[in-house]
Amino acid sequence: MSEDRTRILGMLADGKITAAEAETLLDAMGSASPAPTAVATAPSSSADWPTGPNPNGGTPKFMYVKIDGGPDKVDVKIPLALLRTGLKLTSLIPPVAMDEINKSMSEAGMSFDLSNLKPQDVEELIAGLGEMEVNVQASDGNHVRVFCA
Amino acid sequence: MILPPIVIDVHVHNRDSRNVRIWFPFFILWPLLLVIVLLALVIAVLVDVAMWLAGARTYNITRLLIGSLHLLADTRGTSAYVNSPTTLVDIKIY
Repeated sequence: MSEDRTRILGMLADGKITAAEAETLLDAMGSASPAPTAVATAPSSSADWPTGPNPNGGTPKFMYVKIDGGPDKVDVKIPLALLRTGLKLTSLIPPVAMDEINKSMSEAGMSFDLSNLKPQDVEELIAGLGEMEVNVQASDGNHVRVFCA
Repeated sequence: MILPPIVIDVHVHNRDSRNVRIWFPFFILWPLLLVIVLLALVIAVLVDVAMWLAGARTYNITRLLIGSLHLLADTRGTSAYVNSPTTLVDIKIY
């Protein structure tokens, strides 16, 4: 690990990266969890993640999926900016392909025309996700939580 | 500002095999990515203009390229951690 730090500092000294980039890299190294000695005791880096939707409202930044209580532990954090950009990209789908997509979605019970999505709709959708919370307590002990914050 | 990922950290640990950890400084590829994107951008603009002049329906290749770059940049902050009794997978994109 110290070798990586030395390399980053060397690149900073050589002017290959800026001080801000070096700080980001060093922070990233610092927050990286140490190599586990056993699978069962490997720590998750989700300790500083929020435990639920932001009570003060505001636009959420990430979607969190957490599964625990069973033999498996899953922590997934997805930037909602991906959703925003992905939805905007749907406007570039050729009309022929869009018709096929809408037809397939309609057959699956989702009468939802992606071509009608406007940028303000996307923002409202993401803002609305801030109040969403899915909380499932399975009979096998697994506890599944999905929320945005 | 479109800022691609800086570091990709992939950690896979299996009880029956070796511990694999890849700490990939993606920013090293930024100059190469910049050259490729600039070349692709020029080609995309030319194709879009040619299609427009030919009267064909444009599919906005330039916008698609820029949108794809945004998509790449928006992956920053992604984190996936799966710990089962036999396997640990930890992926982080900074």
